[in-house]
Amino acid sequence: MSRLLPRAVLVIALVGLPFFVGKFHVSLMTEVIVFALYGVSYNLLLGYGNLLSFGHALFFGLGAYTTAVALNHISGLGFFSAVILATASATLVGFLIGFLILRQKGASFALLTLAFNALFHAMAIKFTFITHGDDGLSLLRPKINLGFATLNTPDVTTFYYITLVVVGAAILASWYFTTTAMGTTVVMLRENEERMKFLGYSTSLTRLILFTVTGGLAGLAGSFYALFFSFVSVDAISITMTTTVLLITFVGGSGRFTGPIFGALVYIYLQNFLSDITDRWPFFMGLIFIVMVLFIPGGLVQLIEDIILWARVRWMPGTAEAGRES
Amino acid sequence: MNASVVFFLHGLTYAGLLFLVSSGLTLVFGMMNVLNFAHATFYMLGAYFSWTLLRVTGNFWLSLVVAPIALFVIGAVVERFLLRRVHVLGHVHELLLTFGLAYIIMESVKWIWGTKPLAAPITGFLAQSVDLFGIIYPVYRLFVFSASILIGLIMAVVLFKTRVGIVIRGAVDDAAMVGALGINVPVLFMATFGFGAALSGFAGVIAGPLMTTFPGMADAILVDAFVVIVIGGLGSLGGAVLASLMIGQLQAFGVLLFPKFSLALIYLLMAAVLVVKPSGLFGRQT
Repeated sequence: MSRLLPRAVLVIALVGLPFFVGKFHVSLMTEVIVFALYGVSYNLLLGYGNLLSFGHALFFGLGAYTTAVALNHISGLGFFSAVILATASATLVGFLIGFLILRQKGASFALLTLAFNALFHAMAIKFTFITHGDDGLSLLRPKINLGFATLNTPDVTTFYYITLVVVGAAILASWYFTTTAMGTTVVMLRENEERMKFLGYSTSLTRLILFTVTGGLAGLAGSFYALFFSFVSVDAISITMTTTVLLITFVGGSGRFTGPIFGALVYIYLQNFLSDITDRWPFFMGLIFIVMVLFIPGGLVQLIEDIILWARVRWMPGTAEAGRES
Repeated sequence: MNASVVFFLHGLTYAGLLFLVSSGLTLVFGMMNVLNFAHATFYMLGAYFSWTLLRVTGNFWLSLVVAPIALFVIGAVVERFLLRRVHVLGHVHELLLTFGLAYIIMESVKWIWGTKPLAAPITGFLAQSVDLFGIIYPVYRLFVFSASILIGLIMAVVLFKTRVGIVIRGAVDDAAMVGALGINVPVLFMATFGFGAALSGFAGVIAGPLMTTFPGMADAILVDAFVVIVIGGLGSLGGAVLASLMIGQLQAFGVLLFPKFSLALIYLLMAAVLVVKPSGLFGRQT
């Protein structure tokens, strides 16, 4: 009961959101959901699998570019076909790159992913005949024909609901993934890889599957990012986009499933707020980064849990132990 | 023929700068296991400090001494008051800290000096050109290259011929063991980090008059420096020398031969090296 109630409230709040707030916030929430999936995919890699990557924007950007290029060049391509194409291409590239570089570990692996990201970023700038370089690509969201009704995707609220259902389903699937045997294997990879090898697990296979899956999830997020803005520029595949996901994951709390979801919410709203009042928002982002690392290394989720625990101990001494278990 | 010699010399100049930046990065990584994302912003700060000093005093040699000292202090403070506090949390957190720091330094620079490229005029004999076997070449580029060779030689002597060098090399191999032998490891870390920042700042000072001083200069060299330390092997000074020379030449001739793909070339070289030897040319096998 105590677990079901907050979830029901969350679902009702998300579904009912467009009835209570204006278009501006519906639009921002759509962005939050997209970045939440991006963060969740990165958290699976870093927080669960302990694989530090500096190249996650590669998959995000690849998904975004695939969507834009496919919609511009294949006439009559449907909404979901474009999304599936983008996810598939990011998954495939994730598999190929993972196959090449997963022999490396730790910092070398991180640097290699950075290099691949830089390579794809350079390609996005240079291959102007596909990507239009710095000018970027614009696209039109195709309408979805369900047979009995047509969804008017350019509408902000309609697109919010589509994002909520599709991207939300991907986030739920990621959560389900963490509860499966495969998900447990990933956590074992983080906790003690040597021991896992002793027990007969193929750790390199686990890593490859994880890298491929998270690449695909980031590609899906990237695809919705392109559809959301109806525009893709080299920003989508830049190192800055990788920094963004690092920030989202760490501000929220890495290694906890809900961390990056909180992170995305705070990041998107904070970025909007700060870029409204100051041109120097990267300065404050950097400051927040440092303050978080120094004082709240576990992220916002950790902070919230600490506050709840503190409140329980303070006002309901008897229930504190029960609260710790859940 | 003449053109390729000029490009070769250009490559050597860039290799010199790259070595100065990446040697500090690789030593800090080898010793403290910290990938310092703010390292290239120290290089940028060096260039901006020097530009300001040149405006005020007009003395290039003074800025060549003062700016690295200032960066040594900044580096030491960063290590002592920021990095050391998060050391217990593991290196992902240390890395994130340097990430945030890079953001702050970058924005502060834009704030103080603006985003426009600044030219630092060089005067005296450094501004002239010499006749090198029939090729007219600017003295300043030769100066950049010789200065980096000089610094490299001094570093080699200190590292391989002195007691301090033994301690540093020992700490790169196994910092905990060096600590157990009675060396004050925290002070050593602080000094090494400051020294790496000073080297990077020195490179920035001499890079200022060569290329203009602008906020994008940090990002431009950061990725190249990372590629250098991966190819050379993390923690290896000799590897940094060789890889800097390779990347310098590749950048110079890449622009000449394949202007469209010059960016991709260095990553292809890195991929090729890693396929053959995953730990880098001089890296320890892990």
